[in-house]
Amino acid sequence: MGSQNMPLIPNIHAGGGRIVLSSYGSSHAVFSELSSTYPLKLLSPRISPSGVAVVYILSYGGGLVGGDQVNLSVDVDTGGVLVLLSQGSTKVFKTRPEERLASVRIKRPTEHMATPASMKSPLATTQTLTFAVAAGGSLFLLPDPVTCFQAASYRQIQTFHLSRTSSLVVLDWLTSGRKSLGEEWSFSKYYSANEIWTDGKRVAKDVMVLVDDEVDPGAKLPPRSLRDKLAPYSCYAMVMLYGPLVQGAIRDMTAQYDQISVLKSKVPAEMLWSLSPMTLGEGGGAIIRVAGSETEVVKKWLEQALLGLQETIGTDVFRRAFA
Amino acid sequence: MNDEDEAYILLLLSDSNLPTGSFVASAGLESYVKHGFASLPGSTTTTFVRDNLASYARSALPFVTDAHRIVSRFRSPTIITDAGKGAESGDRETIDDLEWTTTKLAALDDLYDTMTLNHIARRASKSQGVALLTLFSKGFSRPSGFSVPSDAETQNIPELRINGLLEHFKVMVRKEGTHGHLPTCWGVLTAALGLSLERSQYLHLFLHARSLLSASVRLNNIGPYGAQQLLVHAIRPLVATETNRCKDLRSGLLEVPGQEFDSTEQGPANTWPLGEILAARHDLQHSRIFNS
Repeated sequence: MGSQNMPLIPNIHAGGGRIVLSSYGSSHAVFSELSSTYPLKLLSPRISPSGVAVVYILSYGGGLVGGDQVNLSVDVDTGGVLVLLSQGSTKVFKTRPEERLASVRIKRPTEHMATPASMKSPLATTQTLTFAVAAGGSLFLLPDPVTCFQAASYRQIQTFHLSRTSSLVVLDWLTSGRKSLGEEWSFSKYYSANEIWTDGKRVAKDVMVLVDDEVDPGAKLPPRSLRDKLAPYSCYAMVMLYGPLVQGAIRDMTAQYDQISVLKSKVPAEMLWSLSPMTLGEGGGAIIRVAGSETEVVKKWLEQALLGLQETIGTDVFRRAFA
Repeated sequence: MNDEDEAYILLLLSDSNLPTGSFVASAGLESYVKHGFASLPGSTTTTFVRDNLASYARSALPFVTDAHRIVSRFRSPTIITDAGKGAESGDRETIDDLEWTTTKLAALDDLYDTMTLNHIARRASKSQGVALLTLFSKGFSRPSGFSVPSDAETQNIPELRINGLLEHFKVMVRKEGTHGHLPTCWGVLTAALGLSLERSQYLHLFLHARSLLSASVRLNNIGPYGAQQLLVHAIRPLVATETNRCKDLRSGLLEVPGQEFDSTEQGPANTWPLGEILAARHDLQHSRIFNS
């Protein structure tokens, strides 16, 4: 891998990873650190001539199993442009009591596991990603959607530390499961948190939890499944946009959004999207949410909506993000 | 506060004629209907209330709870009496307390604002929050000529403290020093009136559900008697279930490091992304009768 210094693997626990993109002068960037441990895999780091760095975040076996803990920490230096992609949907397999065959399982320090609440579900797959993007740096996190299999339990916590002049695009999306096998919103729990801090101030925090309602037996309520709640859609996406590099994209999408005029319709549309400015208002960021009947429908829409990013990350990288 | 006082406050606060601005809010119901979701098989006003209430309870109740905790602490502070201290240092104690309280409330309000990533919901929440503060100062203050008998002067001090706090907080909202979101202001108001946390939580969710039913009546989805029937039979278990599920949730702001708090299990969250999208699309409707 393109690491210059000695990788700091000994300091990293199972599922740990670290990416440091440093820049020297204008548009010259290097990975001064790039390391990961099983089951996390960071692949094919490439830095294009224009200075756009790409890293694929993968996991062995093409997915994560119950109990896997991934901890990735990423630093982007001043002026650096980092694009993080995945290769195909992140599959989250069913929570199961056995350990991974390779059995490097988590002899982690107990700090994150200390609370009783998380002890109740020790086999939730957890990905914790922390990003620091320096002034003038930019980060594009454009993975494929997460697909949770039946009975899987998944938790993703992403924190972004920015400066006022950093730029950020975060795509966070999930599918209803393996529809071909009849699984639709039949995982046991999905938790996703995205939090943006700018110069030490929290500017946006999105937390979503999807779980089948446990009906209180005393309440005499008919069951209401996650599938009922989320119908007729099988893919939900959220995009957070922030910073100077995405102002054009935000303006374009806002103009497009304001054109929409909703008349009374008899049935729900195949896809829906919404746009809200972040609380800072002008010059800040925006939140886009999308729901679609099929993952492909959502992907096509996102590709079209985010087309403007090509200018920054290049056509080739952009295409790979939405391949 | 005795039971009779609390029951009376409950009656006052549950009056549907209270000028709280809730009658112009549909929390996404109007948009839901307009987008054709009410015609999905199995979809009823009750299922909307259920999905919406579950998400609202999980995201807003932690803020009601923490605002109530903050103001309750202010209302009956652990009195640090030091015989050596004069009146002067006693005064300083009170000022610090007011500052601590308003700082915490503003931080709480700000966290709710950054977590409400839907501009329509933010707008509706702020206007209803401010309405509650106005309700307190205009609707719960003593009319002239109703001053407390002078022999009760010592018991009157907490009331003055509370009035001072709410006035201060209202000015902060007016000067845009804080947002004045509904869950924060509800927690502040109910704690100021001495309503217990449990009742405050329950009443907040009940009023939210009831305003959804009123909206449904105005949208002509159900009739007024139908709404009443639902309120009696269908809504009660929903409100009870959600209150029960979310009563111990916290914003996380008041938890000191080292305390057992797992924000992924006990913190605020949205649970209905479809509702978020529809609510955020409210203003795109060609014609509309509600503000949210």
